[in-house]
Amino acid sequence: MIEIRGLCKRYGDFTALHRVDLTVAKGEFVVILGASGAGKSTLLRCINHLAEPSEGEIHVDGERSRGDRAGLRKVRRDVAMIFQHYNVVPRLSVLKNVLTGRLGSMPALLSWFQVFPAKDIAIARECLRRVELDPKADLRTDTLSGGQKQRVGIARALAQKPKVILADEPVASLDPKTSRKVLNYLKQASRQDGITVICNLHQVDYAREFAQRVIGVAAGRIVFEGRPDELTDEVLHLIYPGGVEEGTDAAAAGAEPETATPSVPAAALHAAPARTAPQLAMEQS
Amino acid sequence: MIPLGRYNLLIARSAGNPGWWKYAVAVLAGIGVLWWAAIGSQVSFSELGKGMPWIADFLGRMLPPNWEFMGKLVKPAIETVQIALWGTLLAVILAVPLCFFAARNISPNVAVFHAMRQVLNITRGINEIILALIFVAAVGLGPFPGVLALALHGAGMLGKFFAESIEEIDQGPIEALRATGAGPIQTIIFGVIPQVVTAWIGVIVYRFETNLRQATVLGMVGAGGIGFELVGSMKLFQYQDTATCILVIVVMVMTADYLSTRLRGWIQQGAR
Repeated sequence: MIEIRGLCKRYGDFTALHRVDLTVAKGEFVVILGASGAGKSTLLRCINHLAEPSEGEIHVDGERSRGDRAGLRKVRRDVAMIFQHYNVVPRLSVLKNVLTGRLGSMPALLSWFQVFPAKDIAIARECLRRVELDPKADLRTDTLSGGQKQRVGIARALAQKPKVILADEPVASLDPKTSRKVLNYLKQASRQDGITVICNLHQVDYAREFAQRVIGVAAGRIVFEGRPDELTDEVLHLIYPGGVEEGTDAAAAGAEPETATPSVPAAALHAAPARTAPQLAMEQS
Repeated sequence: MIPLGRYNLLIARSAGNPGWWKYAVAVLAGIGVLWWAAIGSQVSFSELGKGMPWIADFLGRMLPPNWEFMGKLVKPAIETVQIALWGTLLAVILAVPLCFFAARNISPNVAVFHAMRQVLNITRGINEIILALIFVAAVGLGPFPGVLALALHGAGMLGKFFAESIEEIDQGPIEALRATGAGPIQTIIFGVIPQVVTAWIGVIVYRFETNLRQATVLGMVGAGGIGFELVGSMKLFQYQDTATCILVIVVMVMTADYLSTRLRGWIQQGAR
């Protein structure tokens, strides 16, 4: 569904992504793990051209995505996005926020005058029902709680009838119970509708619980790719260089991604001697 | 820090000793500038003192105000409100399409942004009275040139305020709308307008109040409204009529001020 080849993104002198290659299958639920500033957000934002790639190719559903006007409209219609800060419009009603997901595929002129096709309103209501917010349809969105706003964000993404949903730390501002609920809606979307979901997270537990496949990103490179049960301490050490341990090992850990091939085979990581918990504790002190 | 018994005087002092003569030069320069400005503007308190009896005489001629004249002021007063109303409406109609280009975060590119900011600065920079003089010459005496003057100046002011409120909005929803594949106008209608609408209404109400105040003096250059009567009565030395005009203007301005303050307060409360 998504094929990324040699993707680079530079901001001035700073390189956020170094030649990233990634393939995601249809209906797959992929979680991207990585420290803040590792490049996970940039990776997602390049896919729907909210950030313009500096180099490389991105194919969505077999078609190369382009940054020109027509290309943007096409890719953004097929690819929906969910944000950490929900990014719903506070003064619009819940239903209208969900309807904005349909804006790319309805007659623009009618929408300017707040006239919407009945078919699109029906889709929006159905999506609200799926996130169990249908009783709130007519309320102003700023009266909702954070978790409810994120569910509106999910309904808006579903209303787009997308092939792909990109979720950029969707639960970073939510409590654990609400987080699970939100991630379950995403999982449902991938299972029932065959939507490909790429989700940035920074909670390893949720990655283990929800992901079919985990991608680890550090310093703009993919440093791990594998099943959630392959997320060992060594792998986490690779993904969070210097974060898991402090001290003498940190320098070596920081250098690791530089020498590693873009994607470290999971088997090789397993071969590394496992650190015991007491050892880790000693190294941390 | 200078100790004063149980208290300390804490004042910031520049590092090092700048020397007393630097202060002296600064004070002398300040006095010089004020002296120079006083000569230019012919500020003279002795002249003001000498003129006092004349001012008293003038005020004496104004009193008591001619209440009979009030009947003749009803129509010009209503006309003033009408000028302000259309001046405001046309200003809004002009400002709304321009303001998106003058907002840094929405404007299609930097050149358009700077060009539009300058257009707004120029229209805002020319005083209403001067604009009214130009429009009186162009379309003739009467209230309509007044409407045009208020519209043009008001468009500059409203456009600037509208653009600034757009720059203050939360960018998140805008980004989300772009990500859904919405076009630029759809993004403005569903992402920008809902976030700025209450701020805009507040500014429009304030602009209407300002326009009403301005409309009371536009008549002095022949652009209709109650100011026309004011100048006319003075030219005919009917100072008691002038006093009535001034009283009506004061009441109109105070009413507009009161209503606009109440209305804006109500809108801001409703926005929460």
